[in-house]
Amino acid sequence: MSAAVVRVRLGKGDEIRFVSHLGFMRAFERTVRRARIPVAYSGGYHPHPKISFATALGVGMTSEAEYLDMELAPADSCDLSTQDVFERLQPTAPPGMPVIAVCAAEGGPALASRVEWASYRVDVHADARPELEDAVLEFLSSDSAIAKVNTKSGQRRTDIRPMVREIRWSGSGALECTLACGGRAHLRPQDFIAHLDSMRGRGDAPMLGHESIGPSRIHRTGLYFTDREGGDLLSPMNVECKDLVMAWS
Amino acid sequence: MVNKELLATEILPKVSQPARYTGHELNAGAGYRAGAEAALLLAFPDVYEVGMSYIGFKILYDIVNSNPVWAVERAFAPWPDMEAQMRLHGIPLYGLETYTPARSFDLIGFTLQYELTYSNVLCMLELAGIPARADRRGQGDPIVIAGGPCASNPEPIAPFLDLVVVGDGEEAIVEIMSETARGKREGASREAILARLAKIAGVYWPRAQNHVTRRIVADLDSAQYPRKFVVPFLEAVHDRVALEVMRGCSRGCRFCQAGMVYRPVRERSMNDLCELAEALVSSSGYEELSLLSLSSADYTRIKELISRLAAEYGPQGVAVSLPSLRVDSFSIALSRDVEKSRRTGLTFAPEAGTQRMRDIINKGVTEDDLISAATDAFESGWDQIKLYFMIGLPYETFEDIDGIAALSRRVLQLGRQVAGARGKAGRARVNVSVSSFVPKPHTPFQWFAQNTREQLEQKQSFLKERMRARGLSVSFHDVWASHLEAAFARGDRHLAPVIERAVALGCRFDGWSDQFRPDLWQRAFTDMGLDSSMWANAEYGFDDSLPWDHIDMGVSREFLVREARRAESGLTTPDCREAGCSGCGVCRGDVRVRLAGAFAGSSSQGGGQA
Repeated sequence: MSAAVVRVRLGKGDEIRFVSHLGFMRAFERTVRRARIPVAYSGGYHPHPKISFATALGVGMTSEAEYLDMELAPADSCDLSTQDVFERLQPTAPPGMPVIAVCAAEGGPALASRVEWASYRVDVHADARPELEDAVLEFLSSDSAIAKVNTKSGQRRTDIRPMVREIRWSGSGALECTLACGGRAHLRPQDFIAHLDSMRGRGDAPMLGHESIGPSRIHRTGLYFTDREGGDLLSPMNVECKDLVMAWS
Repeated sequence: MVNKELLATEILPKVSQPARYTGHELNAGAGYRAGAEAALLLAFPDVYEVGMSYIGFKILYDIVNSNPVWAVERAFAPWPDMEAQMRLHGIPLYGLETYTPARSFDLIGFTLQYELTYSNVLCMLELAGIPARADRRGQGDPIVIAGGPCASNPEPIAPFLDLVVVGDGEEAIVEIMSETARGKREGASREAILARLAKIAGVYWPRAQNHVTRRIVADLDSAQYPRKFVVPFLEAVHDRVALEVMRGCSRGCRFCQAGMVYRPVRERSMNDLCELAEALVSSSGYEELSLLSLSSADYTRIKELISRLAAEYGPQGVAVSLPSLRVDSFSIALSRDVEKSRRTGLTFAPEAGTQRMRDIINKGVTEDDLISAATDAFESGWDQIKLYFMIGLPYETFEDIDGIAALSRRVLQLGRQVAGARGKAGRARVNVSVSSFVPKPHTPFQWFAQNTREQLEQKQSFLKERMRARGLSVSFHDVWASHLEAAFARGDRHLAPVIERAVALGCRFDGWSDQFRPDLWQRAFTDMGLDSSMWANAEYGFDDSLPWDHIDMGVSREFLVREARRAESGLTTPDCREAGCSGCGVCRGDVRVRLAGAFAGSSSQGGGQA
């Protein structure tokens, strides 16, 4: 019998937005231990709980879409429901790490390799919005957009147009965008915002540059797989999953 | 409250490790509120990751936090990048719980762990907007208190402190908080509250230069120990459940300040420890449980304790660890029990290279002890051994330094033999770490001059020459840092202006080799017309008055003199747990050696001779 895998959706709140991805992962591992969830451990010299996160979130951002898969220890998995896991995790998670949903994942490729898109909400100053709207329209109407992006090995120029799936304005005036996320193509929201800013800047002091629209104005709203046929966005909780439990607050 | 929005948008994205400054960790307390009867800001003059590793800080935090009418927050020294941002944006030093500025608290309590954090104390006061000099503070300024090991000679930093707590803080903190609350309730002035606090036992008032006797908690079981630790998101230096199994050590190493000023040995009971372990593991979720003390292998029932804890928590993915090891086979056996899977490195501290020198410092370790411990370690699968030594010890000759090289080589050769039998001779490594002896107050060596910087440098290169071998590496502690440590450890109030000057010149984080600026310190001394060697390299006579004479740590002057004389004659003094009272003078009233359960005796533990 294969070990049961539980998929968990967490939030990252304002209180802990400056915690690194490593710190966030460690805090979750400790939550699991406090919650006495029988998680499986890797072998070897330094046994680690078998918990794998979908993707890292930039330091300073908040999120309501941090996903992870957690393998339960074989002996105990059969009598632990997703409801049990949810009820044990929720009260033990630290402040700023709400447990949003839990489901049972039915195998398949690793979470990290399936994520293709991430959606973000970016707070924009009201007085900067009109010019930025123009930049968004221009961006959407073009076939390519060469932008400076930051990678681990430094800055380089690349066409980011294919990495932007959607841009729209929310009712409250925030910019909502869906950007490539994962191993195949990845666009950091700060790089995207900086590019829009450079399009409208034209010599003025940029109102939206990194100085004023740092990571602390960016919130991740979702992570998505895609439907193999139609390319539609799918929530990781809806693909080969069952027994979904959600927080309704 | 400081401007959180400004912090989040303009400041924290630009600094390294921003989570140092944001708090909100699991189990953190509610912090400051206006109605609190007394509010304390616990300040640690080093970065968050260091301060959050210190158990004394956790104990005090827990005691104040668990009283609902008091309030407590934590503040750490901001790293230079953060300090620059705070100054640029006018953000004062603040507590991590509610972002309340330091100036709003009634009391600020600094932990003085290490002399080379003094510059950070002044920097933090400056960032708090509190006058550095105690005599310039007035109504509306918090009362600045300090405690910790450096309180055993607070003089160099005393002009910056309103009060100093000497000794164990568990009881003193309660009295200080209560008195402060009473003073506030009665509408007493800052000055009146200060005078009342100064009357508490163990409290030193630098203005009055009163004689003070160290506070000692007689029975650790009756002292409050945290049942919850604040769990950092950032990885602390020691990020684990620390279970203090006992306080004090009576092995009597003559260079060791901790071994003198934390006497007598007071063990917690097994019941207490097991109960605390359960509470701490389940409330923290930590993956490691460390048995903390100056020499945990000396805990009377250590074997029983480890097997109980390992059996209980091993299956939960919690490793039990021993931070300090004695140089003997018993300790290796214990390490085998606790570190079932990790066989990378093991550390021993023979401290000196020849038997003559180990007898002088009363380090009860023979070459045979080290060889048999190292043999056991290599045979048990450890490939790397780390050895700690000191140079510059009293009565040292170059023969003793040569002995460090010889002993290190012998251990390496042993490792190659044992590993060679498994066909992996090349994997055996011996890493030798060499520090320079710092004479510390309240030790038998307090009268000795530290070697000059030139002498220490000469000894380092002498040793380095003799340590060239494959598989052998040696690292030396910075000579200037040890020199300054000695000056401040043995210094008096003349040093206060030097600290002020050094801070003005930009000295910060002097304990960090990448931040330490000996050139600026040298300039600070020169600017004040002083020479650091006047303190570091001063030899005192037994009849001289010392800058710390008015601080009574419990161990008598007569004992220290006797020990210094025995050192000169190469005579050792055995541990009082085994050979009966050695007359150090610390036990009086209900303060006495307290052991958990029956004493098992030295023969059964394989340790023994001191």
